[in-house]
Amino acid sequence: MNVVELNNVTKRFDEFTAVENLSFTVKQGTIFGFLGPNGAGKTTAIRMIVNITAPDEGEIKVLGEQVSLATQQRIGYLPEERGLYKKMKVIDQLVFFANLKGIESREAAKRADYWLERLEIADWRNKTPVEMSKGMQQKVQLIATVLHEPEFLIFDEPFSGLDPVSADLLKQVILELKQKGKTIIFSTHQMEQVEQMCDDICLIDHAKKILGGSLKDVKRSFGRNTIILDYEGEGNFLNDDLINGKKQFANYSELSLKDGADAQEVLRRAVSAGVRVNRFELLEPSLNDIFIASVRRANGKRGEL
Amino acid sequence: MNKTLVVIKREYLTRVRSKAFIIGTIISPLLILALMILPSLLTFKSGGSRHITVLDQSGDSQIYEGIKKRLEEGELSSGEKRSIGNTTFKLERVIVAPDQDVRALADSYNDKVANVSDEATLILPKGILNSQSPEYRAKNPSDMVVGNVERSLNDVLRTRRLAQAGLDKSKIDEYTKSIELVKTNPQGEEEKGIPRFLIGMVMLFFIYMTTLFYGIFVMRGVIEEKQSRIVEVVISSIKPFQLMMGKLLGIGLVGLTQYSIWVLCLIAFAKFGLSMFASQGVTMPEIPISWLIYFIIYFVLGYFLFATLYAMVGAMVSTEEDAQQAQTPVTLIIILPMLLFGMVMANPDSTVSTVLSMIPFFSSTLMIMRIAMVNPPLWQVIGSMVGMILTIIAAVWVVSRIYRVGILMYGKRPSIAELGKWIRYS
Repeated sequence: MNVVELNNVTKRFDEFTAVENLSFTVKQGTIFGFLGPNGAGKTTAIRMIVNITAPDEGEIKVLGEQVSLATQQRIGYLPEERGLYKKMKVIDQLVFFANLKGIESREAAKRADYWLERLEIADWRNKTPVEMSKGMQQKVQLIATVLHEPEFLIFDEPFSGLDPVSADLLKQVILELKQKGKTIIFSTHQMEQVEQMCDDICLIDHAKKILGGSLKDVKRSFGRNTIILDYEGEGNFLNDDLINGKKQFANYSELSLKDGADAQEVLRRAVSAGVRVNRFELLEPSLNDIFIASVRRANGKRGEL
Repeated sequence: MNKTLVVIKREYLTRVRSKAFIIGTIISPLLILALMILPSLLTFKSGGSRHITVLDQSGDSQIYEGIKKRLEEGELSSGEKRSIGNTTFKLERVIVAPDQDVRALADSYNDKVANVSDEATLILPKGILNSQSPEYRAKNPSDMVVGNVERSLNDVLRTRRLAQAGLDKSKIDEYTKSIELVKTNPQGEEEKGIPRFLIGMVMLFFIYMTTLFYGIFVMRGVIEEKQSRIVEVVISSIKPFQLMMGKLLGIGLVGLTQYSIWVLCLIAFAKFGLSMFASQGVTMPEIPISWLIYFIIYFVLGYFLFATLYAMVGAMVSTEEDAQQAQTPVTLIIILPMLLFGMVMANPDSTVSTVLSMIPFFSSTLMIMRIAMVNPPLWQVIGSMVGMILTIIAAVWVVSRIYRVGILMYGKRPSIAELGKWIRYS
């Protein structure tokens, strides 16, 4: 079953088109990476999914239904721009947010206590956010997102502002939610997180989708065109038509092949040039590279890997 | 649970529990009441006893007897008993010969007077019935007690002087008694105490101040949610309209709570406190219950009208600093009646006053004043309320459309044209 389905969704603000003809689906029980540069239209798309704004054209279905106040109740949404009431006790805020999702106060307090313990901020239960660090406030916001036990969660930039320890804790929580069968949309600029966690991705830029599908397929379609080469001797043999670029690191070089070039040919030339090869490895392109190349290509710039 | 109710509950509880509310609502009226009651309470308490040594050189024993009777028993010449607080006086007479220096004699008591605050000396010099002034010496010679001494002395001396001239004081008292003007309105009802325009003015100022305060509370609340970015989390659970109405109703309930406490205090005071004031010779106004009801209704209507506009200002701006400027038009509309009420007070029944008080933005302040002053016809009162309610409905409609767009917009304040666009967005 598809938890989210967008069909040719367009949203305009006056002359500005924030989202144009966007379609994608999010499968149940998966983590979906929703990527794109700042201002690409991610937040607008997410706001339409959570029923904050309505699309001008196209159709959005959440959990099999047309987006509505009812589907809104079943989503946990952690917005990129998020905050807490400054002078309200942590526990009161959590109960308030759960109340808004229809959870009764006593049950909400019970669940909040569990999560405060789980995220190691139980001591802050009766404190106000003014007294807390930003990282701790983020944890409280995370709890507010999951307290009503939604089937489907959206995390918009959840890692921004988190220290490494908290970021790791958050990653564990997200993976744990996935294990429990929850579906997650996850928007971030940190490509390592996406590579580690996401099943499917969608990359948008300037309101349009430029790349999408399962992470494996996306990577495969970009081919194995990066070579790690560690050699001793003259590097003249690299100055030729097979190579697009070369990044020299302390102990090795990273070469990116031209489209259609054969990696074996590089190895053959190295051997015939008489250099000593210590390491030769064919790599998948990193998501980071795919991201940058795709965005550049979509903008009509040279964008090869 | 109804989602709007959740918001109302939060707005209400966080504010009612705040120190500012407790101080503003409960402590300040208590403080005012205490300030009013305390002095009279202190008089009763501070009384204690007073031992007065009367150095009598007057040669008229009736003067001493008269003072003694009045101070020790609290009885006036007319036979009327007058409260002298609960001070117990004890008078002791020392007869001084006419050729003795009475003040030098008094000096010999100074040590005692200076050290014991209950001790006092009273000098009745010879010729006191003509022009010589008596003298009262005490450690604290201008305390509340001395008034009783002075009154008694005056009463006795007046009686003695009149007697000396062969006149009967009780007759003279009767002839010179001052009259009390009976003030009635055309309905034949008698009006006592503080003039109605003063009550009207007090109600007008209260409504003016509270609508201003509570309106600004609403604006700050909207800005807080916007600035701290809570708003997006909240409206992913409820409609912006529910959030706005929850805030307006929640803060309005806080105001209503405050008004109810005040009005109840006033009623309780009228029931139990007035008699005390009456005994002190102060007449307090009689405020009809209907006025209090109008008072609350006009506060509620005025609050909703202006708080809605303040909610719009909050949704338009991103920071409190921006709000300072953006709120000016709304604040001006609230302040305008403060410039006009003098005109209405001078002639509350004129056409201008009637028309002004029927303008929805001015009704909550100017109509309550006219109600206190002239009992305007019922159609005008009801009409002004209906006018306000219709204006509130229109304002809520327009503002909610601006609000739902504004709360997600940051940065530059929108122009009027942009606001128009926001209203038209689907």
